[in-house]
Amino acid sequence: MNNRLKVLRAERGWSQQDLAARLEVSRQSVNAIETGRYDPSLPLAFRIADLFGMMIEDIFQRDE
Amino acid sequence: MASPTKNPAYLRYTKRMLPLSVLYVAAIALATRLVPDNAPASATTVGLALLPGFAVLGWIWAMGRLLVELQDEYLRMLEVRKFLIATGVTLAVCSVWGILELFSPFVPRMPVFLVFPLWALGLFVGVAVNRFTQGGGEGL
Repeated sequence: MNNRLKVLRAERGWSQQDLAARLEVSRQSVNAIETGRYDPSLPLAFRIADLFGMMIEDIFQRDE
Repeated sequence: MASPTKNPAYLRYTKRMLPLSVLYVAAIALATRLVPDNAPASATTVGLALLPGFAVLGWIWAMGRLLVELQDEYLRMLEVRKFLIATGVTLAVCSVWGILELFSPFVPRMPVFLVFPLWALGLFVGVAVNRFTQGGGEGL
């Protein structure tokens, strides 16, 4: 699954640690999601979408 | 959330494992010192022999609590992977060794109490696999 997390985070000037704190997860989790090594659960994907004020599908896209 | 090394679930895990490990080593030392190899079975010898077993039960409980208390789903996934890999290593070694014992007189019998330490060694394989597949980092 692809995602735009890194871009969205950079647009807001947040570090991975900043985003991790806002999501209440570890920085390692943010890094793993950004680099595509880990696909978040649906509840975490909703938390991410809510934080950016977007729909899940606007952040996460299936592999083409 | 704190880094894995400062994660409250990991801190609680360490606080639980340390005294249990001390208890395990002390119980093994005590049993070794007080129970001769050829001692007849008695309530005392069985009790001394069971003490390290309770420490091992405590370790298993602490590891289960770690999985329950880890709120970070990614870190929990890494721990579960480590446990699964350790279980696979243990099953593989014990199964192959057991069959060798059956058919080869030259292979020494593996004491059953070694199964848990073997599983714990398997955790290191799990750490290595996590580092290799997840790119390293704290807590992997």
